[in-house]
Amino acid sequence: MNRSEPRHGALHGIRVIDLSTSISGAWCGKMLSDFGASVALIEGPEGHPARQIAPFDKDSNSVVASYVLANRRSAVVDMSEAEGIGIVQAAIERADVLVCNVTPEELTKMGLDLEPLLEKTDGLIVCCITPHGYTGARSAQPGNNLTASALSGWASINGLADRPPLKASGFQASYCAGTMAYSSIVSALLHRQKHDPHWGQFIDISELEVMTSTFGPALLAGQYEGKPPGRVEKVDMSTGPVPVKDGHFALTISRPHFWRDAMNVLGLGDLAEDPRWGTRWYRQQHAEEYVYRAQEKLSAWNKMDLFDALAALRVIAGPVLETNELVENGHLRDREFFQLPENRRPDFPGPAFKMSQSPAEISRHAPEPGADTAHVLSEFAGLREISIKSLMKSGAAR
Amino acid sequence: MITSPAGPLNGYTGIVLTQAWAGSYATQLLGMLGAEIIQVEFHGRPDSWRGAYDRPIPEAIKTTQHSAGEQHTWNVNHLYNAVNLNKKCITLDLTHPDGIEIFKRLVPFADFIAENFAPRVLDNLGIDYESLRKIKPDIILCSLSAFGNNGPWRDVPGIGGTIEPISGMSSLLGYEDGPPLNSGQMYPDAVAGLNGFAGIVTALMHRELTGEGQYVDLSMHESSLAFIGDALLEERMTGNIRRRQGNRHTTFAPHGIYATADGGWVALAVETENQWRVLSEVAGHEEWLADPGFIDNAARKSNEDRLDSQLSEWFIEQDRNSISDRLSHAGVISAPVLDAHEVAADNALRNRGFITEIDHPEAGKHPQSGIPVQFSRTPGNINRPAPLQGQHTRDVLGQFLDLSENQYVDLLKRGVTGAGPAKSTQP
Repeated sequence: MNRSEPRHGALHGIRVIDLSTSISGAWCGKMLSDFGASVALIEGPEGHPARQIAPFDKDSNSVVASYVLANRRSAVVDMSEAEGIGIVQAAIERADVLVCNVTPEELTKMGLDLEPLLEKTDGLIVCCITPHGYTGARSAQPGNNLTASALSGWASINGLADRPPLKASGFQASYCAGTMAYSSIVSALLHRQKHDPHWGQFIDISELEVMTSTFGPALLAGQYEGKPPGRVEKVDMSTGPVPVKDGHFALTISRPHFWRDAMNVLGLGDLAEDPRWGTRWYRQQHAEEYVYRAQEKLSAWNKMDLFDALAALRVIAGPVLETNELVENGHLRDREFFQLPENRRPDFPGPAFKMSQSPAEISRHAPEPGADTAHVLSEFAGLREISIKSLMKSGAAR
Repeated sequence: MITSPAGPLNGYTGIVLTQAWAGSYATQLLGMLGAEIIQVEFHGRPDSWRGAYDRPIPEAIKTTQHSAGEQHTWNVNHLYNAVNLNKKCITLDLTHPDGIEIFKRLVPFADFIAENFAPRVLDNLGIDYESLRKIKPDIILCSLSAFGNNGPWRDVPGIGGTIEPISGMSSLLGYEDGPPLNSGQMYPDAVAGLNGFAGIVTALMHRELTGEGQYVDLSMHESSLAFIGDALLEERMTGNIRRRQGNRHTTFAPHGIYATADGGWVALAVETENQWRVLSEVAGHEEWLADPGFIDNAARKSNEDRLDSQLSEWFIEQDRNSISDRLSHAGVISAPVLDAHEVAADNALRNRGFITEIDHPEAGKHPQSGIPVQFSRTPGNINRPAPLQGQHTRDVLGQFLDLSENQYVDLLKRGVTGAGPAKSTQP
């Protein structure tokens, strides 16, 4: 896997116009850019909404925006004016991919009716990521990460039975849907590349359906077991992290040999050697006979000492780490997970997977709104310098 | 407009060693979009998501009408059957010289191989990336492991339940006043599966353009970290360690899940002043609009405990479905919290074709979550339920390797292939 020549990402040469205003759209755009596409984010004069999401650094930069808007160009275009719509249409006509997150009605308001757009623009792939999809009973209803957790079933199994259901933390529905959108776009590009360069199409991503897809095993559990799974009455070592001396630790065992070795490390030889305990279903049925004994032993350990002891035996184990512990983690440093775009801090979480021949590259921090307007109008919309100056002067572009 | 119903990935073939959730989910998504997926299950070490061979069959499944005469516990595990749609399954004992030889003979037919063993396993079997390249120079191998293919933790195994805490996800999931929690099912597996799918299609794209295969190294740990990357970056940009927030949002208020009179729960979020106005009017609490503590989002965020208290008092007198419908139709972000049965029965998801009835020969007919994307011209489709263990061994080996019936029976006799516990492989 030695590389003797400069490498491009797999999507080198693909032009993307990102009109999205959601975290999921932004994440899709970031992945496209990380893997080599040229991505132009077109923001309205008010800026991408992620820029208003807390927390902020000392210079009032949104952390979330800094993460999801990285690695692309930004142009500010006022699409409430005909001139602005014209700029966007010109950029789309030269693009391979359009990412957006609006309803059909909103797209029409933007002067971008879907069918004519697909017919007019040879090979264009339009991906729209919405809370509930482009069609159907919920298509016009608003939604976000909270409602995606509620409607997908995830909230019904997250948290404790005597407390409210819990949404997945942060922006999980957005990241999942953005990743699904990315893969779907690449799949459509593959089809186009392999069969017909004129073969564009529309891709409809519902954040709710992507989250429900990730809920699939629990959904089927409800059918096979005859009752839907619910939230746990209490957390014990069979369901999640339990207290240790300096924090929390999860020892959610799968294979029988993990159980045997873990119990021996904890000094519970009788539980280790009885083969009945090796199977998960037996442990589930006799939980009260082991969890308190094992948890008492666990509570005497420091989390990383226990992790090291179990890791030496190749036993699965999960100390609860917090973000400050992760950014200093030696394993992640050795794998160069954190990257330094433009050779300046902050160092940046790397891609979700590594590719030997067409690696992801995170080369730019998130741009200020309109940092690249002239470049985008020139390179993406194909406008001449004199036109660009005129549009900047009129305020249609900034 | 011309359409092609076989999916955008029609024509690609994966010979995959994926198991449990992460790898199997990744390859299921590829299969749903048209790739042919041949799942190679390790005979003698079955997919852990088939469950133990002595696991009792759930009573509800025993009484479900099904087409096969006999039920086997390893074929009726909901875990396996949820993430292996659109695949064929063959079994091979990869520790047996003939088993690994057959696998190697299949490799030339593959565009990609995927697996989620611990990294040392492929090395031990002699089918690591470099060995596979010698068989097929443009092969793509995607490995989904706990911590990736290098680094001090390379050989430490992991599952979603341990990756969730060690990736920081558990430190962010939970109530503001409570300990860290794991999700209700092992969410990092799903994250890794989505990203494994992404890695493979990206590698296929590179191969289409250059003719070059490659190795995709997916660490479940890192894919989870990427999905909490904003929290990691927060530490770098501000020095702040993000804590658990329950259902609250860093910016918007209200943002929570509230109990209703019928024992249900409703999720509610307000992101605009118009939504706040509509909510106050629907609630019949117009006085909230004039309350200085709720006058704008910043005020509501500063007074979120009082706000949640007042909303809780109102919601507890409401009916879950009618109030969430009323709010969402009025433009407020709102939804009922659905359980697995309700999700399976959801008309909106069914009418979009997402929830579909899958007829499994041993488990019967059940609703399952389907294809999470709609393509206008190359729609995916679900063409088969999760396979029975070894269901397609004879057919696949015949089709790809021209293996005769006698040769197949010989493999069965010698335990190179088979189904169920080892003893039952002897005819």
